[in-house]
Amino acid sequence: MTWATPMLAAIVAAIAIPALVILYFLKLRRIPREVSSTLLWKKAIQDLQANAPFQRLRKNLLLFLQLIVLGLIIFGLAQPRSASSVSSGQKFILMIDRSASMASVDGQTDLGKQTRFEEAKKQAIELVQSMREPSMFSQGEKADEAMIIAFDANAEIITSFTSDQSELINSINSITQSDAPSSIAEAYRLAQAQRPKRIVNATNEAGEITESHELDELKGGEPYFFHLFSDGRVSDIDSVRAEEVDAQTTFEYHAIGSQSSNNIGLVALRSERDYDTPSKLSIFVAVQSTDSIERTIDAELIIDGSTRSVRSIDLPAATIDETTGQRTPASGGVIFELDEPNGIIARVRLDTNGNENPEADVLLSDNEATLVVPPAKQAAVALISTGNLFVGSAIQGMPLSRFDTITPAQYEENRVSGENDVYDLIILDGYLPKKDEFGSILDPGRYLILGEVVPPPYGVVDKGVGSGGSIIDWRRTHPVLRDLTLDALLLAENPIVEIPEDSGVISLAETASGPVILETSDADVRAIMVPFELTKTNWPFDVSFVVFLASTVDYLATGSTVAVDQNERQIVPGNVLSDRIPADASGVRVLLPDGSRSEELIPTADGRVVYGPITNAGLYRLRWRGTSAPTDVVEDGTNYRTFAANLLDPTESNVSTQSTIALANQIVTADSSTQRKRIKDWWPYFLMGALLILLFEWWVYNKKMYL
Amino acid sequence: MLRSENPTRPTTIDELLSSQLIAKISQLDVSSKKIFAGKLKGERRSKKRGESVEFADHRPYATGDDLRHIDWNIYARLDRFFMKLFMEEEDLSLHIVIDASASSDCGEPNKFYYMQQVAMAMGYIGLINLNRVAVTAVGLRDELVIPGGDKSIAGNIRDLRGRRRTHDLARFLCSIEPEGSTDFAQACKRIAMTRRGKGVMIVLSDFLMKEGYETGLRMLVGRGYDVFAIQTLSPQEVEPDIAGDLQLRDVEDGDMAEVTISAPLLKKYKENLAAYCQGLRDFCARREITALTIQTDTPIDTLLLDYLRKRGVLR
Repeated sequence: MTWATPMLAAIVAAIAIPALVILYFLKLRRIPREVSSTLLWKKAIQDLQANAPFQRLRKNLLLFLQLIVLGLIIFGLAQPRSASSVSSGQKFILMIDRSASMASVDGQTDLGKQTRFEEAKKQAIELVQSMREPSMFSQGEKADEAMIIAFDANAEIITSFTSDQSELINSINSITQSDAPSSIAEAYRLAQAQRPKRIVNATNEAGEITESHELDELKGGEPYFFHLFSDGRVSDIDSVRAEEVDAQTTFEYHAIGSQSSNNIGLVALRSERDYDTPSKLSIFVAVQSTDSIERTIDAELIIDGSTRSVRSIDLPAATIDETTGQRTPASGGVIFELDEPNGIIARVRLDTNGNENPEADVLLSDNEATLVVPPAKQAAVALISTGNLFVGSAIQGMPLSRFDTITPAQYEENRVSGENDVYDLIILDGYLPKKDEFGSILDPGRYLILGEVVPPPYGVVDKGVGSGGSIIDWRRTHPVLRDLTLDALLLAENPIVEIPEDSGVISLAETASGPVILETSDADVRAIMVPFELTKTNWPFDVSFVVFLASTVDYLATGSTVAVDQNERQIVPGNVLSDRIPADASGVRVLLPDGSRSEELIPTADGRVVYGPITNAGLYRLRWRGTSAPTDVVEDGTNYRTFAANLLDPTESNVSTQSTIALANQIVTADSSTQRKRIKDWWPYFLMGALLILLFEWWVYNKKMYL
Repeated sequence: MLRSENPTRPTTIDELLSSQLIAKISQLDVSSKKIFAGKLKGERRSKKRGESVEFADHRPYATGDDLRHIDWNIYARLDRFFMKLFMEEEDLSLHIVIDASASSDCGEPNKFYYMQQVAMAMGYIGLINLNRVAVTAVGLRDELVIPGGDKSIAGNIRDLRGRRRTHDLARFLCSIEPEGSTDFAQACKRIAMTRRGKGVMIVLSDFLMKEGYETGLRMLVGRGYDVFAIQTLSPQEVEPDIAGDLQLRDVEDGDMAEVTISAPLLKKYKENLAAYCQGLRDFCARREITALTIQTDTPIDTLLLDYLRKRGVLR
């Protein structure tokens, strides 16, 4: 213990204590009272006191209490402090990790009581309290200052440098947990940006400064002392450089949490539609376990609020490094398969028993993830026709995002301008495009070619006109022909074609005179070819024709992108929600997972809205009034577009606390002593003690319980 | 204990003797362990054979006996003179000594007022039973109160007899002012010298006398008086209610005692008081004085009807 102002206390003690004792030696001013007789009193006094003043003092409890009070006040005046190795006037930067893994409930040894984040805040507050405050009686000492930075994927300066401890503690308490992954680079950059740039002075021979300029890269001024409150699960920790000041590193790592905590979490969630049957949806779930024993958990698939399926996942034990104790997580997974052509919101929940037993799973926020699965894609189809009634009317009945009938001349124009790219499928009805300058008939894309024989390289060799007849064989398993029967199809005539060798053309249906439905595919072009003229068959009048067209559109257009494009509706917490909505949208708001609404967002001129950064996982629904895009949900004239924010981060789900972290230039071991040396002012306790004794003294006086 | 700030000073008999109390004590009579002779024929049986109608005994006639008391019937049978002896009824002296020093004027209820009330009640009992009642107030005064008396006597009334002297007694008691100190020994000597007859003497005082009560009491015993010492203490003297650092001043002699009230001091005080009272009782017991310590918060009727009857002062 050190004393801040011992001389002051000594002077006060030298004056006050003798004064108090002398006051007691001196007779008090006694209150005169007339009594009937002093006879008995005199006897009593004579019996009681042998007229020895020290005996009188020894037995005077009040004097002792007053001496204690005086002593405590004098001790308080001396400003006792606990010894500290911290020199005065340091600048601390407290970086508090608020990423998803900090929500693990192993902040204390007693699991389930406190999250790592709460423990980190507690330790940060302890550090703040240990900062040196300016002395009450001398103005010479500089106080420590601290800056608070909270970081997850982004970093935020909560408080700039201040020595006001209450403000620092308040701002630490105001930090909230997020579900974002952690990245320290920005936090470190923010902190370093506060330091002045190093100024290099050029001097002449006389030693005068002739020129000085700032160096952007190098930092001058006093070094900052970094305190990282984290579990060490920071992906880019190597972006931090520590400095050495007086053989003391400027970077201190306060490891929060336990190395041996078990966590089971979702690390990946994807959906894919089947190549052949787009309505068949597969949801892939990847789970990671840091448990040292094998576990079997249940994964529950919830679609639109109701449980669709529950599957169990066997997770092997995580491997534990014998020397460091670090765990390498084990992983497992499950695939949910379902038939769902429509857009859905699929939620996967792991039942890890973590609610009841924190030992089984310390981090609950990664046990759930949501997937916004768009509906099977609807195609944009162009019909290049000279006016075929059958095809046009059949296609129009299909659920397409766009259907245009274009004249051949217009089509050729669009080929030059590249506008045909907007179509997923181009139906060439009795028309073959002209060869372009490279000699190619078909541009890259998907085609259904009716009534024309496409020459190689994509097509077949025309061998003249055949006699037609019925279909004798067709590929019944092919997606295009799977759902129909061609038994009723009769051809009056058909072109006899020959499939060149080594071409990518396959026959799908054949008459006795050769293939009549063919498919060609290579990297750029995929086409279904029906060389015969429809008007010379009974097919347009058969139901199988419509089915064929629908299957073809499905197969060529919708199936063109087998993986559902989920990325634009998935957000990793820490990023912003950004999307484009129709330009006439108004009243744009985001409905947050907790049920509240955001402020109204103002879209940019091209309809882009940005909200965020998103801190919490969950479903975010963008809401606006106006026109809707094809995939949006419309309820009561209001359009909704759903986004899912999921953690899905293997690094965050691996909750095993790092005992060492590797900075850019050195490896920092966690400060094992969570109690750091702190400057503790004791004087308030002395004063408080004095007050208590004063109260006791008052009570004694009133109780007349004097000794 | 402390001097009463506004002591009750009775001015009328009603303040000394309430009618309720009169009703209660009217049946009482002053009693003595012995039957005492008196000057006047009272209602009291005397040891002396006397002239009442109650026959007591016979004795042989001796020359000079009153011929009227010869039992002629016996003379007729036995031919010898026998005197008829009758019970003699005599009056009794009731002498009340009341301490009129300043120390009596203390406490709450006031000790002197209490003593006045006791004296009045006792005196009334004596008067209605045709006893000879005398009251002497003891207190050192600067001048002689009674011509030919003594400075240690603050007042005196004597030879009261009969119910109609009640007001005289009350007037006298109301006239006494408690002040000054006492010379108890001298006063007792004076009382012993001047008292007449035989009877009951009741001494009302706190007996807190620096010079001691022993000499005085010793003078009062004997000479045919049955002495009762009633030590009157205020409740505050028994359980002091003072606190803090005090300068205690004796109201009688101005003596100072500086005390810091503390639990041990209070304990010691109470021990001393108990020992003092016990000392008084022991002293009295050895000299056939009936001693009684009473607190002024004790109701008068309890004192009279209970304590004094038990001790044979009243019956």
